[in-house]
Parts: sequence; structure tokens; C-alpha cells
Amino acid sequence: MDLEDIIGYTLRIGVIISIILIAAGVALLIVKPPAPHILQQLSYPRSLINTSSISPTQVLSGSAALNGLDVILLGLIVLIATPVLRVVMGLIQFARERNYIYVAITSIVLFNLFFAIFIIPILLK
Amino acid sequence: MLDALMLFVVLALTSMAAGFMGSLTGLGGATFLVPIYVLFIGIPIQYAAGASLISTIATSSGAGSAYVRDRVTNVRIGMSLEIATTSGSIVGSLTAAWVYAHNLQHVIYVIFGIVLLGSIYTQITRSKFELPEPKPPDRWTKWLQLYGRYYDPALGREVDYHGVRWWLGELIMFVAGVISGLLGIGSGALKVLGMDWAMNLPMKVSTTTSNFMIGVTAATGSSIYWFFGYIQPYFAAATAVGVLAGSFVGSKVLLKLRNVTIRYIFMAILAILGIQMLLRGLGLYP
Repeated sequence: MDLEDIIGYTLRIGVIISIILIAAGVALLIVKPPAPHILQQLSYPRSLINTSSISPTQVLSGSAALNGLDVILLGLIVLIATPVLRVVMGLIQFARERNYIYVAITSIVLFNLFFAIFIIPILLK
Repeated sequence: MLDALMLFVVLALTSMAAGFMGSLTGLGGATFLVPIYVLFIGIPIQYAAGASLISTIATSSGAGSAYVRDRVTNVRIGMSLEIATTSGSIVGSLTAAWVYAHNLQHVIYVIFGIVLLGSIYTQITRSKFELPEPKPPDRWTKWLQLYGRYYDPALGREVDYHGVRWWLGELIMFVAGVISGLLGIGSGALKVLGMDWAMNLPMKVSTTTSNFMIGVTAATGSSIYWFFGYIQPYFAAATAVGVLAGSFVGSKVLLKLRNVTIRYIFMAILAILGIQMLLRGLGLYP
């Protein structure tokens, strides 16, 4: 199995894991809602519950406690992480081929991704 | 609780239909999804855009795993253009945040309407030839190794190809990235245009490579959307599941379906949605 196949499987497994997490989160949310009104608040179109108030650390601890909302968000994080992982694997592939122009190009793409994920939140805080 | 469940089912089914139409037209689910959410379900455009941007990652990665096995996607061409789409996406998402913060949503409606109506044009003028007229390689072709080969089962032979005018492709990709971040769509039509028309690549390479790029572009925009709180977990969950299911069904049907009538119906839906978005943006539609 070469790296191309591994990349294909990574994409597929990433999507499957995230869909399972999302579905499990929705099921948990309905079976044991954290607060009686939370489902109502979530289904209101102009709902005030969104990602601006939820930190990644809270998503992790909440998922461990089987909090449905946090499990859904964990699924969304896995989904966003899948293409990032794919770019990282592209970087490894180019490094193995000693294709230095593309090692540089892929590093720029990866920098843009990390800039959006980690640096912009810090700059705008 | 019944209401909440009902809404989830409605959103998932709507997204399924959008994913289905999106995969048959090649425009992606979000193009249909955002206007339907905004115009008919009454979801604020921030949440509609956030949910749909997330869902484009699901479809891109889902389809991507199949394309990688076919070895048609050109990772080098895709990655070299990702510099522009990810930068564009950062600019577009931050612009969207600024627009929403100043309550200028109608600007987004107008741009969305124009993009929808423009997509109809690209549907009509879609190239009829599988392989482009060969153009002589330029210095970008050699320097960035913009070439490859793949096996085309329809033609029954290996196809060698190379890309030209990388700078023009890069410019179009930046615009595609801005649109993606601004509207929460994959902007695949624009990406295909950049590779098909500007870089003279074969259709199969353009569409599969565009699909690969959409996931990375949308991941960039999604993380900025996340920070600004445009992702409502319940809506995003229903949308991701629905669009993925719809585009999966669409991709299976696509191989059997050669009916142009259905494409015309989808183009009519695009026209209706586009005009409604425009009218709403201009304040002429309630």
C-alpha cells in the first residue's frame, strides 16, 4: 500500500468517524438533554447557541462526559481536521520524493491553514 | 422536543435534496442549500453559510477518497493553487465577519444572487470536449511540474496532459477562495473554470482536482467561521449528514443518468433561487 492509498483511506475514515460522532451526538442530545430547554433553544432559527461561546477544551471534556452537544462539535472538529491531515500527508509525500519546490508550496498552504485555525483567533481576541 | 426533531429531519432532507442537485450539476450542495435555508426555512444567513461550508468538507473528503484511488486528481496542481484559495478564503471569511458585524447582510444576498445566476451561465457554456486543444507548455509548466497522465476508461487509453498559464489559474483561484469564505460555498464552478479554461487541463482532471481543493479551502474558512460563531451545532449536524447522503446518491445516479431534462430543471431552480436572493438583497422581496 503506497501513500496515495493511505491518503484515500484517511479521507474516508475521517468522514466516517465524524459522521458517527455527529449522529451519536444528536442521539445523546435527544436521549439525555443537558437542560430541559436546550433542544428548544437549539431548534430556534435565531438560536444563540453557537461556536463563538464554546472552547475546544470544553468540547473535549464535554465529549468525555457524553454531552451530546459537545460530541456533535467533536464530530465537526474531526471533519475540519480531515483536509488538514490530508495536506500534512501531501507534505510527507513531497518530502519523500525530494520535490523541494512542492515541500515549500505545501508548507505555505499548511501555514495558511494554521494561520486561520490558531493565529486569527489570537489576533482577534 | 418533537419540534426540535422535526426541524432536524426537515434540515437533513433539504440538505439531501441540495446535495443531490449539487452533485448532478457539479456545483456542490451549498449552492442550492444556503438560499433554500435562508428563503424558505428562515435561518439567518450566517448559520446557513456556516452549516453549508462545513458540509462541503464532508462531500469533498467523501468523494476525494474515491478519486485518489483512480489517480486522476493532480495533487501538485491542486496544492500549487491552494496557496491562492486558502489565502482568498481567509480574506473572504474575514470580510463576511465584517459585513455581518455591520448588519450589511443584504450585500451578501446580492453577491449570492449574482453567483447563482452566473453558475447558470457556466452550466450552459460547459465545455463539450473531454480533452482540450493542446497548447505549448510555458515556463510555469516546467517550473511547477504542471503535468501528469491518467487512464481514461471512456477513451480506452492513457491521457498525457499539461497545464499552462498558472498565474491566471492562481488569480481565479484567489477569487474562488474569497467567494467561498464570503458565502460559505465550495465555489467549485469557479475552480473548474480556472483549471479548465485558464490552465487548459482536461475536464476530468479539473473536476477531481477542484474537489480536492474544496475541502482544504472550506477547512480554512470553517475555522474562521467557528471563531465568529457562525456554526450552530444542531443545524451543521443535520446539514453535514444530509448533504453527504444526497451527494452520495447523486454520484451513483450520475453514472446511469444521461438525461439533460433534469439538468434544465436544476438550472431553472438555480434561476429562481438566484432571482429571489437578488430581490431580497435589494429589499424588493419580503
